[in-house]
Amino acid sequence: MPSKPIISVTKLNKYFYSPDKSLKIDAVKNVTVDLYQGEVVVVIGPSGAGKSTFLRCLNGLEDFDSGSIIIDDIPLNHHHKNRLEIRKEVGMVFQSFNLFPHMTVRENISLSVRRVRKKSTAECEKITASLLDKVGITDKIDSYPGQLSGGQQQRVAIARALAMNPKVMLFDEATSALDPEMISEVLDVMKNLAKDGMSMVVVTHEMGFAREAGSRILFMDNGEIVEDREVGGFFEDPLEDRSKAFLSKVL
Amino acid sequence: MIMVFVRKATVVDSIKYLVFLGVIIFILVLSSLNMNYNWQWYRIPGYIFSHSADGSLEPGRLLTGLAITIKISVISLFLAFFIGIITALLRLSSSFAARAVSRIYLELIRNTPLLIQLFVIYFVISPVFGISPFLSAVLALSLFEGAYASEIIRGGISAIPKGQWESAYSLGLSSIDTYRYIILPQTLKQVLPPLTGQAVSLIKDSALVSTIAIFDLTMAGQAIISETFLTFEIWFTVALIYLLMTVSISIFVHYLEKRNSYAQ
Repeated sequence: MPSKPIISVTKLNKYFYSPDKSLKIDAVKNVTVDLYQGEVVVVIGPSGAGKSTFLRCLNGLEDFDSGSIIIDDIPLNHHHKNRLEIRKEVGMVFQSFNLFPHMTVRENISLSVRRVRKKSTAECEKITASLLDKVGITDKIDSYPGQLSGGQQQRVAIARALAMNPKVMLFDEATSALDPEMISEVLDVMKNLAKDGMSMVVVTHEMGFAREAGSRILFMDNGEIVEDREVGGFFEDPLEDRSKAFLSKVL
Repeated sequence: MIMVFVRKATVVDSIKYLVFLGVIIFILVLSSLNMNYNWQWYRIPGYIFSHSADGSLEPGRLLTGLAITIKISVISLFLAFFIGIITALLRLSSSFAARAVSRIYLELIRNTPLLIQLFVIYFVISPVFGISPFLSAVLALSLFEGAYASEIIRGGISAIPKGQWESAYSLGLSSIDTYRYIILPQTLKQVLPPLTGQAVSLIKDSALVSTIAIFDLTMAGQAIISETFLTFEIWFTVALIYLLMTVSISIFVHYLEKRNSYAQ
């Protein structure tokens, strides 16, 4: 494992206020964690634990209140330029796919390559074709998202995020909005990515995926990281009471 | 079963509609016969097409006026559209100054009569800057309709799901690219029907420019009436011409919408 982390989070805090401002809720509380190249970090925990908020802080979709995030040596702060740089290196896959409905699959995937990476049309075509091959839907290249199943849409969304050739991929409950029979086709794509050595941070409820493809577990509850362990140890022998209670419910 | 039911209802509805239309026409014909007005419809075609000295057809005075109306409307429509987009973006921007400027513009335009705005531009502003009557008319109409268009466009932008912004940002797209490729194309498709309504309003409102010495369709009608006293015939004809314009716009946009719809 290389000595320098690709993502370095220090004492990260993020609060929410209740609508009448009377109640302060810690969405992310004092989170300090380093993630290294090639790791597949699976973030699990009960709903409302702050997993998604933490993940969304990592590419600047959510502002944080204190602490620091450094990704690939770039600090994520109020400098707009840094934020754009980080977003180029961090791909994200959402629960609700968020494909662009007015664009074909081809346009969805090639847009960022063309506009952000400034690649030529020929290169865009090549990248799009190879990514669709990777996620296994080459025949849908000229379809609109509305013509695809949920599983296919999510695979296109993964291809779209990969098109930027990111150093890290974030998955925000990527299979939660899918019909049960489509979950495995998306998980398979994610497992293959992990096998290829992609650094990933995955928020999920799929314990099977965590066990099989994960290298490290962050167990979060009430905004804190309760347990930070390698996968085998966490599932065989959880240390904290809250981890034990959670595992007894989901396994 | 359901199809048969629908068809029956349609037939009954159509009969009701025809009876209603018949009654209206009957009343109109009856009253026009009773009002001792000397109808001279045969003189109207001469104002639409007239014969020139060598016998060939050339546009009559009403058509010449119509050309001016169309010219003013088309130019104002494009300007209003761009003013609308820019104002909507200013109102949604994070800069306080931009929001304040757009807000003042909107309130000023929406809370004063168009006729007064037209007079202010024509009598107060245009002498200072040497603006022609035609340009004054275009300016007044596009500023007026642009304010309404901007509210429609702003509503359309706000209705785009948050996820679209988030996925665009997470791909590293700049704000400008996000608007250009993701937000505005989806917005414009959604706001096309209400914007059509605004275009129809613009064409109708353009009749007001006859008050600042522009020979548009309405002014041409007025001039003909003052010479010939064909009050009813000319106003009916002018109204029909406006109706033809606005209805054809609605049909055209309906066709566009159908063609541009994508699976969602």
